[in-house]
Amino acid sequence: MKRLFSIGTALTLFAGTAFGAGYQLNLQGLRQLGMGGSGTAWPWDASTIFYNPGGLARLDGIQASVSGLMIIPTVQFAQASTGNVYTTQSQQFYPFNVYVGGPVAKGSKLAVGVGVYTPFGSGLTWDNNWAGKYFIQSIYLQSIFIQPTASYRINDIISVGAGFIYAFGNLEVKQALPVSNENGVDGQADLKGNANGTGYNLGVQLKASDKLQFGLTYRSQVNMKVKSGNANFNVPPTVASLFPSTNFSSQLPLPQVASIGVGYKPIKKLTLQLDVNFIGWSAYDSLKFDFSKQTADLKNQHAPRLYQNTVAFRLGGNYDFSKKFSAMAGAAYDPTPVHDGFVSPELPDADRIVLTCGVAYSPIRKLTVMAALEYTTTAKRNSTYNDGPLSLNGQYQTKALTPGLGINYNF
Amino acid sequence: MKKIYSVGLLVCLLAACKPDLKTSAPKPGNADFSVYLAVGNSLTAGYADNSLYLTGQQNSYPLRLSEQFKLVGGGAFKQPLLMSDVGLPSPKLVLALSTSCLGVTSLSPVPDPQPVNWADTISIASQGPFNNVGVPGIRCIDYIVPGYALLAKASGIPYASRFFANPAARPLDEALRIKATFFTCWLGSNDVLLYATGGGIGNDPGTNVSPADISAPAFFDAAYNIVIDSLTSKGAKGALMNIPDVTAIPFFTTVPINALVLRQGQADSLNAAYQGLNGIHFAAGANNFVVQDHNGVPKQIQQGEYILLTVPQDSLTCKGWGSLKPIPSQYVLTSEEVANVKAATIAYNTTIQTAATNHNLAYIDMNSYLKTLTAGITFDGAAYNATFVTGGAFSLDGVHLTPRGYALAANFIIQGINAKYGSTIPAVDANKYSGVKFP
Repeated sequence: MKRLFSIGTALTLFAGTAFGAGYQLNLQGLRQLGMGGSGTAWPWDASTIFYNPGGLARLDGIQASVSGLMIIPTVQFAQASTGNVYTTQSQQFYPFNVYVGGPVAKGSKLAVGVGVYTPFGSGLTWDNNWAGKYFIQSIYLQSIFIQPTASYRINDIISVGAGFIYAFGNLEVKQALPVSNENGVDGQADLKGNANGTGYNLGVQLKASDKLQFGLTYRSQVNMKVKSGNANFNVPPTVASLFPSTNFSSQLPLPQVASIGVGYKPIKKLTLQLDVNFIGWSAYDSLKFDFSKQTADLKNQHAPRLYQNTVAFRLGGNYDFSKKFSAMAGAAYDPTPVHDGFVSPELPDADRIVLTCGVAYSPIRKLTVMAALEYTTTAKRNSTYNDGPLSLNGQYQTKALTPGLGINYNF
Repeated sequence: MKKIYSVGLLVCLLAACKPDLKTSAPKPGNADFSVYLAVGNSLTAGYADNSLYLTGQQNSYPLRLSEQFKLVGGGAFKQPLLMSDVGLPSPKLVLALSTSCLGVTSLSPVPDPQPVNWADTISIASQGPFNNVGVPGIRCIDYIVPGYALLAKASGIPYASRFFANPAARPLDEALRIKATFFTCWLGSNDVLLYATGGGIGNDPGTNVSPADISAPAFFDAAYNIVIDSLTSKGAKGALMNIPDVTAIPFFTTVPINALVLRQGQADSLNAAYQGLNGIHFAAGANNFVVQDHNGVPKQIQQGEYILLTVPQDSLTCKGWGSLKPIPSQYVLTSEEVANVKAATIAYNTTIQTAATNHNLAYIDMNSYLKTLTAGITFDGAAYNATFVTGGAFSLDGVHLTPRGYALAANFIIQGINAKYGSTIPAVDANKYSGVKFP
């Protein structure tokens, strides 16, 4: 007689572990952040290395831009069946960006530069015993992009630019396993890994006149590959052989983004700009975790995501009160790539509305100090996760507040 | 100046930066949950892992219900709690590594090695009356028997005597001490279960003297209606749970009927030994076990018949049980016995449903819920089914539920109550409670 103690049927390992739109940060320059994240058309400073590499040759000299931000995201889940409301723990994350670049010499048509920025990152920590613990307890993702860039001013109207992207980062995911120890406490899976990938960033900047400028950019998809992550399992000793510590591989496509932007100065002191982003989220069709050691209970996980492409709109303005002081304001609408039925608690995404503002102050001619603030809110999204009749159904809402400080120096 | 401005903005936005989801307040509908009474047997008492122990009681479905009822005006809920977590009168089962007769070590349910606390048999009736009057082992027909508690105690079952105010009275009288405004009643399982878990050693319908018999449906019907008439006589509302088809539970479905694996030589010698008796025939590979039927005659077990979880594993593995020695009848439920069980279950459930209709009470179809659970359900990302040990809902005795299983049962009962009384009592977060505990 054999008594099989396989836990396999009791597990939905990593059914919902993923990263998505909520991890895309549009915080790559403070001036642009203050204007709703728009910046494809107008090369404001060295951060155009990200927003439009073609704009780099428009700068009137080598510049350095540095900024640091703090994201304070909060997600809340109100479970339909129990009426319980769960809120993620208060946490802060610190995206940053550094850009140096400009024309190689005064009046040169060629410009070079490098940008180091953090376009994806953030995290959520739920209570360890919350209703969605078997989907996710905590998630943390960090990525850093390094982008050496060259830009060429073809004539007074057209300039182009291209950058190569090397991306690296790390992720950590924790989730409870439904196997109780002697004290009735759940097991836990902890997956950690380093990821890297490559891509490119292309841009064309058109200066139709001093009042009217256009931009076209294309940032390629970056496949962040985890080749050898560490999966560790905290389970009761008698079932430990079913959950061996092992390596895993995974892949997360960071989507391609094509943008068109227009900037217009109706009066001398006011600049208005609009960006439209076409975001290729459909590359994210499934989430895969492949384990190098597998057991009846630890199998490769392939969960459908089926993201849809989205179009986001960003609108902003900059008003110069004086030569030293200006202020920015903007708004953005960033629709969710997540279909109904795929709203999972590690990334309870919904259409985002973003409001921003900022100030810039130049104590001396070459130096600008900037501060900006972004407020993000989502609609309350009723969601079901396709996981059987009694799955995690309820309503999600996300809000985040992101203040940032930065300086720009014009050499 | 600008800094002050932006700091001020930050402060005023901080308040807006927290989401503010609200769920609608639960409503009691047209029932009054202020005094809740739970009537039933072991399932109601919180029995699990083959015994009654403190943690099991603290995870009973009536306690889960009472916690949810508190959201709609429910009051205090008192249970006759034990002091000991070991189990009464025998230790609960726990998972531990044990070595079989073949020297193979594996995880198996074994009795908790800690000693039973006999002080728990001393009456705590002075702490009553209790809102949970679930008595492990009690049948529906016992509920109207004066002195049941004394009779049970005399046969070594101390559950009623340890908390009944008057052990000489009917169990129903103990239940009526609470002036309930709302009650649940889950009686009747033992009227058929004790026959089934005893391998059908007992009398079929018609007599009901011994607990091993199936209670006669007519007696069941009479007793059940007395109980419900009394509970509702002061206008209490309530919910009546029907009886699950016990043959779906792990106690009957875990031991495979065809695990007798033979080589050709072994099959040949067994065929020679039985000489085709009752069509018994073996071949190389997997064979159905040989069992005793109701009358002690050897036969080969068939699809739809069950070997009970209590069959000694070492006897199957090393002592020739199921091959040369037929598995004794008390470990086997034959098709005839299964038919008796099913017929009684249907008859009892007809009684329960009729009572629910006549008294305008919620009828909770636990029988069909158990079938759903057996097939497998998912609750907030955790899968549950009726697989022994790992299925998550059934405790180590294969009959009673885990804390999670009882919470799931509470949720199903809440659904039925909400549907009947127009209440909006929220569900229990079942995954908060533990399943089978692994060392």
